[in-house]
Amino acid sequence: MHRRSLSWRIGRSALLIGICVVVIGIVVFPVYWALALALEKASLIFAATPHLFPAHPILANFRAAWRAESGSIGTSVVIACGVVILTIAVAVPAAYGLIRYSFRATAVVVLALLVAQMIPGISLSLSFYSMFHDVGLLNSRLGLILADSTYAVPFAVLVLRAYMGSISTELFDAADVDGAGPMRSFWSVGLPLAIPGIITASLFSFVFAWGDFLFAFTLTNSSTVQPLTLGLYKFVGTYGSDWGPIMATVVLAAIPSGIMLALAQRWVVGGLRAGALKG
Amino acid sequence: MTEVATAPADVVTGAGRAPRPHRGVQRYGRLVPFLFVAPVAIYLLVFFVYPLVFGVIMSLENFGFEAVIKGSGPFVGLQNYANSLSNGVTLRAIPNTAIFTVISIFFQFSIGMGMALILNKRFPLRGLFRALILIPWLLPLLASGTVFELIFQGKNGLANAVLMQLGIVNHPIYWLVNPITAFISIVLVNIWAGIPFNTLVLYSGLQDVPSELNEAALVDGANVFQRFFHVTIPSMRPVILIVLMLGIIYTVKTFDIVIVMTNGGPGNATQLLSTWAYNQGFSSFLFGDATAIGNILLVFCLIIAVFYVRISKRMIDA
Repeated sequence: MHRRSLSWRIGRSALLIGICVVVIGIVVFPVYWALALALEKASLIFAATPHLFPAHPILANFRAAWRAESGSIGTSVVIACGVVILTIAVAVPAAYGLIRYSFRATAVVVLALLVAQMIPGISLSLSFYSMFHDVGLLNSRLGLILADSTYAVPFAVLVLRAYMGSISTELFDAADVDGAGPMRSFWSVGLPLAIPGIITASLFSFVFAWGDFLFAFTLTNSSTVQPLTLGLYKFVGTYGSDWGPIMATVVLAAIPSGIMLALAQRWVVGGLRAGALKG
Repeated sequence: MTEVATAPADVVTGAGRAPRPHRGVQRYGRLVPFLFVAPVAIYLLVFFVYPLVFGVIMSLENFGFEAVIKGSGPFVGLQNYANSLSNGVTLRAIPNTAIFTVISIFFQFSIGMGMALILNKRFPLRGLFRALILIPWLLPLLASGTVFELIFQGKNGLANAVLMQLGIVNHPIYWLVNPITAFISIVLVNIWAGIPFNTLVLYSGLQDVPSELNEAALVDGANVFQRFFHVTIPSMRPVILIVLMLGIIYTVKTFDIVIVMTNGGPGNATQLLSTWAYNQGFSSFLFGDATAIGNILLVFCLIIAVFYVRISKRMIDA
């Protein structure tokens, strides 16, 4: 590469930064705006000239949001944890089996998992409604755990399979040579090595379940089981003009993904990329 | 964030490693592998295969509220499909879904590709921007829709405040009340929601473009555009196809954003196949019609899925 002058390089950087500020500013703004309004006094939310920064930030909206939605938050936490447990219990052995043993059925399962991710939730929920009605799972946490797990299980198996595929085969072969049975190889070699992948899959599963609206909306019809997304939806319907607490609820809804992005950027972005496109 | 965030991993899946043959198979027979894979196979049968088959059965029956309680209704053949396809709302929802998808994907992809190319250059603050572009993933889609509902409020919303301050409009636009602006609003929100996914995956794909190729083209005197169209695009072909197909699938089944912002209104102007299936099923209790509409959407998704699987396979083989 030939070298360019210093002023050319500064100009180029300024241009690239300028484009990023505009585009990423627009991308980030709505999330920032939710936070700003959550801290704003009710009387100022619809001021003719909107304030970009709350001059006197208050926490009253968060207190109101918590009073209204703490039950929903608890429900969402229970459901999301249930989805994580179910997903990991199904996905970890599956991924191990799919990567270690190759026969015709494994290809069918992998294909089915790929296609499963493409199925519209509304198609599933119409069937689930009738199925769950028969077995008494409507309006139940367990019902939503099972329904929400459909977001997570295919994804988790495929991610874990890609992750375990990157573990050196020699380790498993060594365990075989040492006389470990398949269960022993799984527990003592496969499982410990897969822990970073399991963490990634768990975080994603949690966030998928936390963000579900469709199943909560269609498979419950009482306020006894109401996850946070549904609580937020009803909040807007009931207190349509009370936007401060509504935006505070939005901010609370961002917490799990926020933690995930902060904690796991290295694993999530880096790990997915490594496993992903470099096959 | 659910729908959007699923995506990068789908790409992962696309290129998962092919299983290798192992000695274990010979030594322990064929039973043990089944024990590992059996739970997920049963899971798929119960939570995907059975519901889809049941959906086909429901779509062939007069499946109202009593049928839900009984578990089946009178067989009516293709009547629900005939009803739905002659229903004015379905005939509106199909083109709505198509237009919604095409416009969304065009802009998501173009913006994502542009940002990926920019973030692939070396310049100060690049790491910060790369992290910030993921910010929309913080919010569940329903929460994003809620924020945009406020931004697009008729009288006092921020969109109007900004446009009026800038002197672009004199009167507030009733974004979500007027059919055309309501449709534009949901498309804008969906484009916004898709930018992180498109940027992230295309950016990852750019890492795999061999730099020697670009340098060779540079030596041969190719300009920026020639290098983009003759080096970058061809090397990224599989990634581009996968991003487009996943984008189409995620967009075509958009639900949360539309339900919270417009619920398909005003006057079905923003009714998509997914929201229309919802309304027929859960508001009108016409599960037969609803599953017929849902199955139209499903068939479309499965067609895309076939292409997706074929391209993923080719990526693994390559």
